[in-house]
Amino acid sequence: MSNESPGFFRQLPSALPGLALIILTMVVIRNWIEPWMTDAVVFGSKGWLVKVTHLNYILLGIICGLLYRNILFGGKMPEIFSNGFKLSRLMIKTGIIMLGSLYTFSAIVQLGAMAIFLIGGFVILTIIMVLWLGKAFGLDRSMTGVLANALSVCGVSAAVATSPAVEAKASHVAYAIATILGFGILTMFISPFIGHALNLTDLQYGAWIGTGILNSGQVLAAALAFNPNVAPGTAVSVAEIWNIMRVISIPFAVFAVTVWYWAGRDESDATGKKKSLGTLLVEKFPVFVIGFLVMVFFTSMGAFGDVGLKNGPPASETIKMMRLWMTWIFGFGLVGLGGYIDFKELRQAGGTPLKLGLIVGTTKYVLALIVVFLIKDYLVAI
Amino acid sequence: MVFSNIVVAVDGSTASQEAVDHAVDLARHSNAVLTGIFILDSQWPDFIGNDWQSSKGARQGFLDHIRVEQEEQAAAARAQFESASGGLEHATFHVHAGDPTDVLIEQANSDKTDLLITSRRVFQVSGRPSLKALGTTLARKALRPILLLP
Repeated sequence: MSNESPGFFRQLPSALPGLALIILTMVVIRNWIEPWMTDAVVFGSKGWLVKVTHLNYILLGIICGLLYRNILFGGKMPEIFSNGFKLSRLMIKTGIIMLGSLYTFSAIVQLGAMAIFLIGGFVILTIIMVLWLGKAFGLDRSMTGVLANALSVCGVSAAVATSPAVEAKASHVAYAIATILGFGILTMFISPFIGHALNLTDLQYGAWIGTGILNSGQVLAAALAFNPNVAPGTAVSVAEIWNIMRVISIPFAVFAVTVWYWAGRDESDATGKKKSLGTLLVEKFPVFVIGFLVMVFFTSMGAFGDVGLKNGPPASETIKMMRLWMTWIFGFGLVGLGGYIDFKELRQAGGTPLKLGLIVGTTKYVLALIVVFLIKDYLVAI
Repeated sequence: MVFSNIVVAVDGSTASQEAVDHAVDLARHSNAVLTGIFILDSQWPDFIGNDWQSSKGARQGFLDHIRVEQEEQAAAARAQFESASGGLEHATFHVHAGDPTDVLIEQANSDKTDLLITSRRVFQVSGRPSLKALGTTLARKALRPILLLP
């Protein structure tokens, strides 16, 4: 079984065709399709396609990636494009690191305090709910463990991090991932509509989807679909702080679920599987978060000039240029992400994991919206 | 119809036991060469493609975990095949890697295969939900004789 990709530089030549397709797609969308949609008169209204469907370059990019794979290429990315699409992960990570330039440490503290409160509460409540429902539905313990972290923390990444520790079978992980992605894709497309219909501010919307959407890729896409601008105070700047908090909680959530899984079992069976929190922190902590924090540090030190925070001086030219790059980098990354959505896999998902996923996912999504409304006066804009 | 080369998909499950038993009977009566195949599902890295947050170690640890399970399944499949085909003169077992559906279609359409025997429920142990449709896809795309069991 071919397991992972070789190093970045060895992979680069073979990635060029896929990268070229991704870049070409985004260039066409941003230079021709989006401007055309903005000007087009539909049902007697100029810009109807943008105002009503809320389709912007982000959602169009995801849709293109999705159509490439599922329609144009018949369900599987051709070998020639596959390595280029794999690099989309690196692009999104790069974009998230660059997002660090939106914040100073004081802004992070202001936003982060509320994020810790909301994310922490939702992670703990979701884990408890899944463990309880898993028992009520008679679900396998491993499957329940994978679902608990996947639904509470950040979707596929949490499932990947948890599976070895709870001895999950391939089928458990597959059904958990298909459930999360199916729900995530649905919420990614409907959230911008709901957000605009309810007249949510960027702050409220970012806090809601950062808490309520299950998978991080979809959080990013839904935030940029609501408001494609990348600047302090926009939906993406809020949602990503929430998301970073979730990512940081991965090792802790894996530890908690592993302890639950092995409780009452023969400790000798757990050799090599039940790991200390310290080991999990080293193994599972996503390195790009450190990159993000380093970027926040440099921004706080004024390395890139003024950030353009609310009531502060306007953003420097360097910061403006970085923000423009970010919109392109996220655009490229999300075309790639769309190319990984396989309708066949989603269509065949089902059974108890889907039922449990839908109950917990919907509860979390709706409850997050209610909570954001309740605490809207306490949310701090940056 | 005479079958000289019969291929059977084996995954060690109860579903594939029936297919192996049929294949062995048929090979014995036709004096055919019987080949058992197991397919290591290589589509997992692609399936988790949406995950962009995991560190390389976490991702690799996960893929290694899945690979170990599949290798155990391959061993169980080999044991199942060898136990059922004991006494057959021309019986071999091979492990392939790839998308199970694609590999089975390739095997079914190969000039070297006179008959492919498989259960509809084979390779469900590989996990990915789309494999539930393996039997239907195989029936649609096979150009040579196949025996599709429940």
